[in-house]
Amino acid sequence: MPMYGDLGNKLVQHAKRTQNLAHLPPYQTELIRAVTREVRDLDKDVASLLEPFQGSFDPSADQATACTLLVNHLSMRRNKRCLLAYHRTRTDKLEELVWNGSDVLDLAGQQAGGANGAPAADGGASSSLSPQEEDYVRQYGDLLAAYKGQWTDIDLTGSLEPPRDLFIDVRVLKDAGEIQTEYGAINLTKNSQFYVRHGDVERLIAQGYLQKLG
Amino acid sequence: MSYYDIDLILTDAEKIPCTFQLDIPDLGYLDNTPTQPLKAGTKVNLPLWLAEMLAIANAGDAEGRSFVTFDLPPALGNDVVQALKADPRAVPLRDQSAHFYGLATQMMELSEEQELAAALRKTFVIRASEVALHARKVGGAGQRGKGGADEGSNLGVGGAGEEFLRGLDEWERKLFRKAHDGTKSGKEWMESIKKH
Amino acid sequence: MDIDDILREVDPIFHDIPQEQRDLQDLTRAWVAEKSAPELLPWPANGLFERINANIKTQIERVEELTGDMDPKTNFALIVIQTELERYRYLVRSYLRARLAKIDRHALHYLSTDALRARLSGAELAYATRHQALLHNHYLSSFLSSFPAGLQNLNDSAAGISMIETPDLESAVFIRLLRDAPVEGRGVDADGAMDGRESDIVILRWSDAKPLVEAGTAELV
Repeated sequence: MPMYGDLGNKLVQHAKRTQNLAHLPPYQTELIRAVTREVRDLDKDVASLLEPFQGSFDPSADQATACTLLVNHLSMRRNKRCLLAYHRTRTDKLEELVWNGSDVLDLAGQQAGGANGAPAADGGASSSLSPQEEDYVRQYGDLLAAYKGQWTDIDLTGSLEPPRDLFIDVRVLKDAGEIQTEYGAINLTKNSQFYVRHGDVERLIAQGYLQKLG
Repeated sequence: MSYYDIDLILTDAEKIPCTFQLDIPDLGYLDNTPTQPLKAGTKVNLPLWLAEMLAIANAGDAEGRSFVTFDLPPALGNDVVQALKADPRAVPLRDQSAHFYGLATQMMELSEEQELAAALRKTFVIRASEVALHARKVGGAGQRGKGGADEGSNLGVGGAGEEFLRGLDEWERKLFRKAHDGTKSGKEWMESIKKH
Repeated sequence: MDIDDILREVDPIFHDIPQEQRDLQDLTRAWVAEKSAPELLPWPANGLFERINANIKTQIERVEELTGDMDPKTNFALIVIQTELERYRYLVRSYLRARLAKIDRHALHYLSTDALRARLSGAELAYATRHQALLHNHYLSSFLSSFPAGLQNLNDSAAGISMIETPDLESAVFIRLLRDAPVEGRGVDADGAMDGRESDIVILRWSDAKPLVEAGTAELV
């Protein structure tokens, strides 16, 4: 028979899997609702257990009730921890995507797509993000932009690899139009190859427009 | 102690055998009998997050009893400990518990089992160096033949090594990944130096 | 004769090093220390980053000037400046990201007291405060607002575990001694003590190393 906390545990198992995935699996709307409901039910139980005592409950005089109350309190706290950890795992992942410059809200609709970011054939009408998560992504994006704005000359989201190869060979995987480099404009048409400054194109590499050669 | 740590939360879900010390009318559901009171002396497997606090909390009576007493879970039972004493590397810890060390650490905090603690510590040290050894082997793979697409991947660990790696608990898996990535990036760095 | 020339006569070694180069040294030190220490270190209060930012701006302008003139000779100078610029950018970026990672991981801890808040730069403090507000609001709108009022906190320590996560001050770091000094460290089974000599490299717990680093007796490596 299921006991309090079992549903919360399921959520955490989802979170564990999420940590090891490259994409964000669908938000567990039903499970979240069920765990939240469980917390409210436990709270009602606590209230009705305490009601006869009119605010003067003495644990040592009624140990059985004290034990039940403790179990209820611990179960509520356990569910809260599971819910928070689940949401935190997902916001961590969303923040990572924002840092990488992915268009999260666009990606969200095509989660079922292949590993190379090809859009799913089924149209991807349903997002794997909850509406609250979509809001969060927008707000965090604004926050990051504001912080980055203080360091415009650094490119804060740039590579964390120490600079070694200043210039690299790249192949264009999909048309990306014209980019401005410090040597002038380069027109990136599919299958063409260029020898370019790494700093100019690393975002395009991260977004899958260019492939680094050699 | 980390509130949001997924592995710690999952460790807290590991169940340990508990015995209730008093009758509790409303907790029958814990023993699959929601309509019956839970009798003193009933044995129930409870998750750590619940068992721990029920064992620590004082029931509030004159003798200072706890609500429950607990025993060591089977994962830390005598059979396992004897096998670990014989050869720590031969025991797939994962089959006992995916969070074997997490569970063991929590249990050690709750009880004073010195012999068990000593056996676990030896297990930990011997297995950790074995994990590092395997990680170096795998992370350094491809050193002999150049140009293989799977350089440094998990492929190519044969036989006993594979079985040992399958039996790692979560903590050991993390150690393995760290040691593996360290070896791999060390190797990549060496090669990039050679190029210049 | 300007003030630098006078100082150079008084202390020829120190003042032969231009400010720019000293700043690069300080930046490199701060970067190494921040990458090694398990907790957030204080933001340099001496205007280091304002100077470095200005310096990067100047270099970018020089690159732009030189780019207009594609003579192969100056082009070589261009690559040298760019390489240096990239290194500056990398150090600053890596330093800021290392700090932000620590702040994100233990935000409530670093926001909890005035002393801890003082370690953050103004921009970091604004970021951390807003980030926490966004998270709290996200939890509230996703599920937390339908919880009983007493359970809506994100900063209590009920049921034996604190919701405010803190950095692990007992993790190991490497330090280099900058002068002779006794070093004491706590171990699992036994504690250790040694008479350290200048330039010795020692591994010990951050909590034991911290007083040495703060006193300038040692630096993180």
